[in-house]
Amino acid sequence: MPFAVRNITAKFPGATRLIFEGLSFELSGPGFHSLFGPSGVGKTTLAKVITGDLPPLSGEIDSDGLSTFLYSYNLERLPDWSSTGNHLEKITPPGREELRKELIHIFGLEECVAKRFSLLSLGQQNRVNLLRYLLQDFDLLIMDESLGNVDEPTRGKIILHVKETFPESYFLYISHNVVEVARFCKEIVVLRGKDRKPQSKLIFGQNARQGIDPDPRKLERSMIEIVNASS
Amino acid sequence: MLLHRRIYQFFIIYCLGVSGLLILKYLISLSDYVIPSPSILWRTALDIFNPYFKGVMNTLIVAVVGQLISIILALLLGIAGRRATWFGSFIKAAAYNIQAYPIVAIAPIIFILLGDGILSRLLIAAMICYFPLLLSVIGIMSEPVSDVEHFYRVTGRLRWQLEVKIRAFENLGKITTVIAGSATLAMAGTIVAEFIVADAGIGYAIRIALFQSDLSKILVALFLIGITLSVYQGILEGAGFIIKKGWTKKEN
Repeated sequence: MPFAVRNITAKFPGATRLIFEGLSFELSGPGFHSLFGPSGVGKTTLAKVITGDLPPLSGEIDSDGLSTFLYSYNLERLPDWSSTGNHLEKITPPGREELRKELIHIFGLEECVAKRFSLLSLGQQNRVNLLRYLLQDFDLLIMDESLGNVDEPTRGKIILHVKETFPESYFLYISHNVVEVARFCKEIVVLRGKDRKPQSKLIFGQNARQGIDPDPRKLERSMIEIVNASS
Repeated sequence: MLLHRRIYQFFIIYCLGVSGLLILKYLISLSDYVIPSPSILWRTALDIFNPYFKGVMNTLIVAVVGQLISIILALLLGIAGRRATWFGSFIKAAAYNIQAYPIVAIAPIIFILLGDGILSRLLIAAMICYFPLLLSVIGIMSEPVSDVEHFYRVTGRLRWQLEVKIRAFENLGKITTVIAGSATLAMAGTIVAEFIVADAGIGYAIRIALFQSDLSKILVALFLIGITLSVYQGILEGAGFIIKKGWTKKEN
């Protein structure tokens, strides 16, 4: 069941300059994928096109069988009138209480649930925000720097757990961290800008899983390919 | 804290104003008839304190009720008009156009239709503070708090009650300031109504003092109006502060 972006042409609302012109790529199946590229290349815009928040001028998203696309980003906040734990309880769909407890433990948020959102550190805030998306129904979740300000070991632990818990879902991880993307992602869509041909390149990452560390040489090759594609 | 600050700020401004008048009086040797001396001012204050205080309280009650009506109406219409729908646009356009028209100018019509009783004063007070309140509420309620609302919107949980709650919570400081500010307008509206045609209130007392050309009575009235308004605004700001504190501390 591939997910494909076909001939997308898009621009910012109200802008005259196109961000993409006939952009196409295809992901082979569910898994932890990445959108990679320098700042301003259009990663967030493409994310909004994929979720339907920004209609493209032309082209289509071929998402046969996928219906629920969510977009999370790292500046989101929870209302401050109640504790984080209370908010999480309220947005947990019936039957997912155990998943919530498990994710709170894996994300290292046990001490945060009693506090209000504004009292958490940026890394904790981002983890809480991502956690609430993972409790929802989704076929594809875009994580736009959703693990920003989280320390590297915790980020790795979270990504590996997410991959193991949601094997049937698509993830599009937007990050500027080459090592992380090369290590954990299955396929990396490198966006290169409208004026370059091709506008995107698909690189295969090392798709690390629990207990399986990628071969350092292969990881290095993936990293070099990503850097070459984006430079 | 806020109340205390408002009161001493008013004292400073009032003292500066009266001092300015006295300096002018002694500089160009104006008579006590034009600008009263401090002793006359003091004597007048002692003589008329009770009736004038009652008058200010009478005015304040009308202003508070008028402001309350305005707040309720502005919240209802502001919430209804927050969306970019036809109805929302209509409410916004109507509010902008109507508020541009000076309410004081239509006050005589209100008095002709409703007489010089409490209803006319109430209506004018409510109308004068209503439109600025409405515009502020519409402004606050129609501005999305994207960072908070995004999750609820994309997961289908953003009902209008939650949307209003988020926007009100995020802008509680602004709402409190606007409501406290509108207290001045409500008070001014009531006084203006009393000044035009009424049979009670401090505005009515000022009108009589004006006919008598008695500046000392007017200065005493201004003092009582200012101090009362400062206390009222301080209470409103304090209430806003307590509400916010209670709202954010409820579960922590």
